[in-house]
Amino acid sequence: MSIQESWKIGVLFSTSGVTSIIEQSQLNGTLLAIDEINAAGGVRGRSIEPISYNPDSVVSCYGEMAERLIVDDKITALFGCYMSSSRKEVLPVVERRNALFFYPTLYEGFEYSPNVIYGGATPNQNSVPLANYLMGAFGKRIFFVGSDYIYPRESNRVMRNVLRQGGGEVIGERYYGFDVDEEGFAEVAREIVEMKPDAIFSTVVGQMCIDFYRAYHAAGGDGRICPIGSLTTNEAEIAAIGPEAAVGHITAAPYFRNLSSPANRKFLKAYNAKFGSVRDVTSCCEAAYNQMHLFATALEEVGEMDADRLHEALLGATFDAPQGQIKIDPDNNHTYLQSRIARVDEQGEFIIENKLRRAIKPDPYLVYPKIHDWNFRTQKVKQFPA
Amino acid sequence: MSDFIQDLRDLNTLVVHQRDRSGDDLLQQVNRIGCNCENAWPIPVSLQKKFDLVFIDVTDQPVDRIKSFLNSAGGEPPTVIALIGYENPSTLESIFEIGAHAMLTKPVRATGVLGSMLMARRYWAEQLRFRKDLAKMRDRVVNLQKINDAKFILMRHHGIDDQEAYGVIRKQAMSKRTTTLEIAQSIINADGILRNIGNS
Repeated sequence: MSIQESWKIGVLFSTSGVTSIIEQSQLNGTLLAIDEINAAGGVRGRSIEPISYNPDSVVSCYGEMAERLIVDDKITALFGCYMSSSRKEVLPVVERRNALFFYPTLYEGFEYSPNVIYGGATPNQNSVPLANYLMGAFGKRIFFVGSDYIYPRESNRVMRNVLRQGGGEVIGERYYGFDVDEEGFAEVAREIVEMKPDAIFSTVVGQMCIDFYRAYHAAGGDGRICPIGSLTTNEAEIAAIGPEAAVGHITAAPYFRNLSSPANRKFLKAYNAKFGSVRDVTSCCEAAYNQMHLFATALEEVGEMDADRLHEALLGATFDAPQGQIKIDPDNNHTYLQSRIARVDEQGEFIIENKLRRAIKPDPYLVYPKIHDWNFRTQKVKQFPA
Repeated sequence: MSDFIQDLRDLNTLVVHQRDRSGDDLLQQVNRIGCNCENAWPIPVSLQKKFDLVFIDVTDQPVDRIKSFLNSAGGEPPTVIALIGYENPSTLESIFEIGAHAMLTKPVRATGVLGSMLMARRYWAEQLRFRKDLAKMRDRVVNLQKINDAKFILMRHHGIDDQEAYGVIRKQAMSKRTTTLEIAQSIINADGILRNIGNS
């Protein structure tokens, strides 16, 4: 290999601040994929070199740093962001400068930008399976708790509608600002325990999520009887919550660390070798890992960092991800993903209970998912004794 | 949640625009939103009745041609979203003239299409409702006037008061199983005939 310049790409994940737990895991997924690509000889013989900034979970920093990556560091492809508000900061920057932006997080939908490749789930891909599961297994009276920003509100709108179609009922709905801690959730936790809903739907994210689950446990809530269902709470948060407070709670996501497949075992082995533990591997981490591989394949094909040509090559691209095969939908830049439902066991590990038969098409502009759509029907996953 | 958002995917839409970058971007976005979508260019002579919402490029197109196209389906005109290349007063004037319910500027971006569709649908539905209400009100005013006229005729001829006159009309309407308006009209007609006989 001759001495050639590396392919420079930008990375924007917070390693400090309220959403750092999850963003750190996304950063790790990104870096692991880069390592794998470079170890296999890079792209067209040149290695990928990440230029990474830490926006410190401050929304306005994401936009400024994206600008800096594009203008000063001359990058044309960047990877990052967890919260919708930070994505909205980066969006106008990448559109104005025509850079390609990979967003590896589930979000509320109703967006399309030719400059963004969306790697996380849209509401149609996991809200319906979760609603069906909660109502089928626990009952129809559901309490909503969320962080106060766009994702929880839109996500709850979708959930409320899906529940109503199935004869369910939302018996309470609360939103909390990002300054709320465990103490701040004590009151709503008591209220929930008194009201005795059949299940709780939580869109509380980041550090707040940990505080909320703990407050629920402290108030006497038991996930084994009345679980908190979520689309965002994953392995990293469950580990921080601790098995005692986390047991019984439910999450719907495209990927879980405990997934039993050769692709996932290979992924976890590599992750463990690089970071010393797989504790913080999550669906968002896996999505970040997948997006980097998809990007590298497109770059191999195109051979230059031109955003438009990369975009063309990415549409319809597939990847055998740890979750199973995924594909970028050429209609809308979002990704066909798997859908699974898992429950936390006594050891604080997710056990996958239900899954969809095949990867589900992203539909970011779906206003009302239909609860009886056969596409969303899940099947039970057989449990094998360990 | 309003019906406009709920019913969005049932809309039949037509994009009257050249198949250039803006046209393609718009068609794709309407598809993503999930509406049935067809394309036509140049501006066709007539509009099929099935289209609920029409995007139309008004840049450098004669206003009369656009208007005759939009009105060619008969019945209520569709919801219209104008696409404009120049944001100058004469182009904007033409948007008013064709009766557009919303507009998008070119180059078309995906962001904003959904919002303008909803605003246009709402505005269109409101206009429709206002027009219907107005027609109803107009009828009602005319009817009221007729019943009043009939009452005056009865009061004059029979020396009864306002309430009694109305009572007579109502009773007649009930026994003949018709509306008070019909009876009022008959009274007015009869009065006219009788008066004419007297004059001749």
